[in-house]
Amino acid sequence: MANETTNNRKALLVTPEACIGCRACQVACKSWNQLPGIKTTNQGTYQNPPDLASAALNIIRYSEVPSQENPVRWLFVSRRCMHCEDAGCMTVCPSGALYRTPEGAVAYDRDKCIGCKLCVTACPFDVPRYDADGKVTKCHLCVDRIGAAMQPACVKTCPTGALKFGDRNDLISTAKKDGFTTIYGEKDLSGLGTIYAFKDEPQLYGMKQNPSIPSSVVFWHTYLKPLSLFGLGGVVAAAAIHYLAIGPHKEKEEEKEV
Amino acid sequence: MAEMVRKSSVDEIVNHWILAGSCFLLMITGYAFLFHIDAISNVFGGYNSMKNVHNWGGVVFIISLLYSIRHYLIDALHYDADDVQWFKVAGGYLSHKVTVPPMGKYNPGQKLYYLAILGAGIAIALSGLAIWLLKDNAALLLISHLVHNVSFSIFVIAVPVHIYLGTFANPGTFQLMVSGTLSLESAKKRYPKWMKAAGKM
Repeated sequence: MANETTNNRKALLVTPEACIGCRACQVACKSWNQLPGIKTTNQGTYQNPPDLASAALNIIRYSEVPSQENPVRWLFVSRRCMHCEDAGCMTVCPSGALYRTPEGAVAYDRDKCIGCKLCVTACPFDVPRYDADGKVTKCHLCVDRIGAAMQPACVKTCPTGALKFGDRNDLISTAKKDGFTTIYGEKDLSGLGTIYAFKDEPQLYGMKQNPSIPSSVVFWHTYLKPLSLFGLGGVVAAAAIHYLAIGPHKEKEEEKEV
Repeated sequence: MAEMVRKSSVDEIVNHWILAGSCFLLMITGYAFLFHIDAISNVFGGYNSMKNVHNWGGVVFIISLLYSIRHYLIDALHYDADDVQWFKVAGGYLSHKVTVPPMGKYNPGQKLYYLAILGAGIAIALSGLAIWLLKDNAALLLISHLVHNVSFSIFVIAVPVHIYLGTFANPGTFQLMVSGTLSLESAKKRYPKWMKAAGKM
């Protein structure tokens, strides 16, 4: 589908190994985007809020995965919009509210959003959320900051370098040089804009295997959209050809035949 | 003045124009949503207000379509041997040299067209209502989106054929959706079995 790779595509690199779970990124996001707090209850985990919300565009997922040598091992991973190159939400959005920024982020125009929620169904990562006004919200990589050559608020505040923002190719090659064998999202959906550097299996951190856009959306985009356009054009052309080549029914001719 | 025969009642003509008007409005706004055509959405005051026009236009459309059942459905469900023969000569549309069998009030092409529009129309209306009102059910929304677009493709292909056959391809037909009447002479030629059934032939 959409393939608009530019050479200067930017990306956000998450290195879960370096994350200490301080959640400063969550706070910085709220602060910059002026989002309200969310009242939550203890669900038996330190992960808070429990999932993405209209007022929580990024969260740290806490996975307790004890290992042989570390019985209290916690794995932290930043969850947010993946800014897919092949973005199902952008493909399915009927009003063009979701769009690609020059840096490669998937941002949205709140005024254009008609609240249909199709983006929710088309997202392979269950990311878009709707606010109280029925408008889409999600991480937009701080479109207003990166457009002014600044870093996203979460990256700016991250104290350990677990979040990095920069040239996508550079981030990937640096991470590989640093010994991270798996770059999650390097190739998925034509390349994600939020990529993750792992030394372990990404599934250990709860990363989704083989993310894909729903097949009905792919079918609709690949076949039905062109059909509705070329179908109409084809009928109009066929009608014109029929009129010129064969011509309309004429009652007098029919009389002769009878 | 020649004796005139009424083929379409005033009721039928008015409803057909409501159906045609709402269908046209829905197609135009539908294309605008499908291809993000700002030039069209701007006419309606942006995508949000165009959504309202599209949704309520759909309500008008489905009411009008269901009302049209009383005009066409019984005819559309009855076929005879002449109808089979009609298909064998492609209704006489591909050559003027073939002999087209005598027809009743509607030819089988029209009858099947009505069934297609009724089926696709009910499908597009139900899926549209689901997209509009039940959007929090993700699985239903995905299926409805697909059904809505499949039906849309049927509409944008079938409706222009219908318009062409009702205007340029058959001169004199369009007046049936204006005055609803035609001369007895023409009616005998075009709809001999209907005229026989009505005792005029």
